[in-house]
Amino acid sequence: MRFRTSENERLKRAFQEVYAEKARDDLGDGWPSQVMRRVRQAGPLKPASVFWSSFENLVWRLVPVCCVLVFLLGVLFMKMEIGSGYDYLGTVRAEMERPSLSELYGLEG
Amino acid sequence: MQKDSLGPSDADIVRRVIDGDVNAFESLLDRYRVLVVKIVARHVPHGDVEETTQDAFVRAYLSLPTFAGKSDFSRWLGSIAVRACYDFWRKAYKSREIPMSELTDKHRDWLEEVLSGESGASRREGDQRSEARELLEYALDRLSAEDRMVLELVYLEGLSVREAADLLGWSAANVKVRSFRSRRKLEQILKGMRREERGAS
Repeated sequence: MRFRTSENERLKRAFQEVYAEKARDDLGDGWPSQVMRRVRQAGPLKPASVFWSSFENLVWRLVPVCCVLVFLLGVLFMKMEIGSGYDYLGTVRAEMERPSLSELYGLEG
Repeated sequence: MQKDSLGPSDADIVRRVIDGDVNAFESLLDRYRVLVVKIVARHVPHGDVEETTQDAFVRAYLSLPTFAGKSDFSRWLGSIAVRACYDFWRKAYKSREIPMSELTDKHRDWLEEVLSGESGASRREGDQRSEARELLEYALDRLSAEDRMVLELVYLEGLSVREAADLLGWSAANVKVRSFRSRRKLEQILKGMRREERGAS
């Protein structure tokens, strides 16, 4: 059985109150200098190429489509393989049944 | 975009940093340190706030070239801080570094009092707050990193689905579904506690 709406509301209020108290900013003063040290270690920035960033976005957007396409092509290819196997067998059989050149010209026996 | 009456605007500073003036980033750090610490302190345990805040600022620095200036810089930085917190929880859950908190009868009593609408006058308010906080942590520890972040942003901070989606960089539909599911999971966890209590008594 689920909680009643009034129970949910009371719980939500109580949790929101204690959660809001978590937002304290009583850190020491040393951390900004550590950030700047890490930033200086990283060095000057390279401007992002608009072309490459938009290309990257496009590539990620196309990934699901490509996956589906690869899957479909795979299925199609497998089906074609089976079909072409049968075709190949038929060709071999027809080849075996076809009379040879010597038979055609009556040169045998 | 903030424009300090005594100093350069955020856009000017960002431009200087991108142009190679690394030290100019310190102005942005001074301007937004309180904001970022407040965001991070809500989402990660107290002992990890400093490191996660540092990570958020370093990530912001490295991402500055992608800041197009179309949105407010504080919003852009806020979303980086929220994503740093999300990454913190992903790593923490993966390595299982976060110790699971345990509950006592006091927590169950608090839950019963809140659900029944009683004031709980028999106990001090400070005790009740600490029980509520520990109970909330207990429940959040049992959610995935994704559910935890969505529950904190939408249910506990009261942000809209769209705002939470912008901060996390997810689709609004994803946040909506996760918000619904995570609230259900929270309810299940709390209900489980009540069942345990009944079974024990």
